[in-house]
Amino acid sequence: MTGGSRGLGLAICRAFAEAGAKVAFTFSKNVEDAAAAQRLVAGAGSDPLVFHGSVSDAQHVQATVAQLSEAWGGIDVLVNNAGPTQILPVALLEEADWDAVMNTNVKGAYLFSRAVLKSMIRARRGHILNVGSFASERIVEAPIHYAAAKSALRGMTEALAREVGRYDIKVNLIAPGLLDVGLAKILPRHRVDEYLAQCPMGRLGTVEEVARSVVFLVSDENSFMTGAKLVFDGGL
Amino acid sequence: MLALESEERVLHQTTSLCRVCKNAVPANVVANAAGEVWMQKACDDHGPQAVRLSTSAEWYQRTRAIQQRRVAPPAVRHEVDHGCPFDCGPCANHTQKIRLPVVTITSACNLDCPICYVHNKNDDAFHMGVESFGQVLEHLARDQGGELDIVNLTGGEPTVHPHFLDFLAMARQAGVHRVTICTNGIRLAKDERLVQRVAELGGRVALSFDSFERDADEMLQGARLLDIKLRCLELLQKYGVDTTLIPVMTRGVNDHEIGKILAFAFEQPNVRHIEVHTMTFTGQSGATFPRSGRISMLEVLERIEQTTEGLLRVDDFVASPCAHPLCYQIAYLLVDPEGGAPIPFTRFMPAAELYAALSDRLYLEPTAKLEQSMRESIDRLWAYGGAEAERTLGLLKRLLGLMFPCDRALPSGEALRIAEQAVKAVYVHSHMDEETFDTERAADCCDSNCYADGSSIPVCNYNVLYREKEQHFNLTPRRWNGRKGGQRSFPSLPIVTG
Repeated sequence: MTGGSRGLGLAICRAFAEAGAKVAFTFSKNVEDAAAAQRLVAGAGSDPLVFHGSVSDAQHVQATVAQLSEAWGGIDVLVNNAGPTQILPVALLEEADWDAVMNTNVKGAYLFSRAVLKSMIRARRGHILNVGSFASERIVEAPIHYAAAKSALRGMTEALAREVGRYDIKVNLIAPGLLDVGLAKILPRHRVDEYLAQCPMGRLGTVEEVARSVVFLVSDENSFMTGAKLVFDGGL
Repeated sequence: MLALESEERVLHQTTSLCRVCKNAVPANVVANAAGEVWMQKACDDHGPQAVRLSTSAEWYQRTRAIQQRRVAPPAVRHEVDHGCPFDCGPCANHTQKIRLPVVTITSACNLDCPICYVHNKNDDAFHMGVESFGQVLEHLARDQGGELDIVNLTGGEPTVHPHFLDFLAMARQAGVHRVTICTNGIRLAKDERLVQRVAELGGRVALSFDSFERDADEMLQGARLLDIKLRCLELLQKYGVDTTLIPVMTRGVNDHEIGKILAFAFEQPNVRHIEVHTMTFTGQSGATFPRSGRISMLEVLERIEQTTEGLLRVDDFVASPCAHPLCYQIAYLLVDPEGGAPIPFTRFMPAAELYAALSDRLYLEPTAKLEQSMRESIDRLWAYGGAEAERTLGLLKRLLGLMFPCDRALPSGEALRIAEQAVKAVYVHSHMDEETFDTERAADCCDSNCYADGSSIPVCNYNVLYREKEQHFNLTPRRWNGRKGGQRSFPSLPIVTG
């Protein structure tokens, strides 16, 4: 799991641990959050391996995958979740902001996917799950670099699924709407109310709801679904 | 009808008060040959009276013509009987719901300021009970639909109330976003632990701060208090207590200092607002203060422009949509943490949009309207450029980055606090006294003194008429006069219900 120290990433790590998986996650900034996440995942049944670094740093990615492969003998599942939420209108969005969001969301997913694919191809099995966003699936107010990055992830998901399907490697994407963590917690109330007014389910999704589906998507139970996207937005 | 001089023209007619007996009298508001605005009236018993309201008829008319957003009080608590301003509660003629609830929790005060515009008593002092305060909060919450932006605790000196910290905690527990304590700062300056407790309870302090000059200090507050004020501010800053400075502007005494006071306030990281009051000549001491000190709203705005060397101009201010337009003028400024001059919002946002963003509350909150205005302002700055465009965009981007950091989600309350720290607000508030009293303004008032039984009285009406009748605040309360001449009906006005 990239970006596993909080929010949806943490919830998925916990769900994986509860399902009996060995879990490892990366984080980039907040050591305290990572330590707390480590304790929570351990409490869910798997003492996780934790790696500190940026997903857009190729050396960090290579080193992380190498250590995991040595420790576990391979990697069955990769979840590309790392991605900053940067709220900026286009007028304030400078090149560095664009690069940072694209690097984390897209280049990071590319680097990690490429790094784990060698062992997955050798094993002729595996799951890669990319965490996208409803921002790429619906016409909603979202920072353009964020929406562009999530759209890129969808394209990468579909193309990669096509390319590695012959090795029984499934590549899928989830596109959550507003959940009970993350963005919804920082948006002004009127923005959340506006969202809920358009949402047939009339409520925010929970990270646990998304995590349950992710467990299925990357498990052996999912034997045929690839190149797919699952939208969790309550029917927006 | 009052006689007019040949070169005078009537701008409007209203009901005022006799400055002696405080019965209501008809008044003409006229523009004279010099372009000034005067209120003229005559009492059958106490003769003709006149007071200057503004130095500019053009400004007065333009400002008075601004259409405020009237939202009717949720409950009428007094029938129209004697007419305005003698039926407060509010009565059915009041046009505005309460935006700034004021709760007078004590009659005791540890100062005796020559500018004091209320009545207090220290012997057998009144201290509001905890139960009564709880009832005030309950009524306010019910009337405001459960959402309370602000409650202002005042006195007397509220910090001498034995339970004022309990009141602060109660208001916060009731969900009040801003609980302000209106204080002279003496107790806080002498008791660091008290400041710490105020901070822990999330209270905000509105500190009277009139002058840096000793003589002016003494003339206005009856004591040399500058060192105490500075010590108080030092402690408030140490504990991060959000603070408002309240200077009372008095012509010829401290009006030349307003720029210095504003510059000082802009430099204090915990000072969020500066609320400039115009001297008001009522109450136990203000009524006898030399009238040479009278200064109008526009004159204060002009002094601000002069003494800040244009950092803030008259046209950087907008009226409050929640009050009569002659009562409040408001400017917001974006703070530059690198030490550059603060940037008034109106330099990057049309005044009409700032006005609209203030339409639901007396203080700026991150509403949908404000968000929309900010977004459009950013686009305009970016697309059209301008002298300060780059710096302004940089400051706005920095603010967004602080409110919405990439690596963590801040609770909305914390994000709001960051937003508040990035701006300064200057409010100029012109209270009325018996001489300048105008029922048109009184009927539109959104600041009210609130009671445990749910009733409320607009603050100018309260200060001028009602408080001197209350046993709680007077050893010998005045009795009501004949309450003659009250205004029983008002022109039909557009009012939103709810």
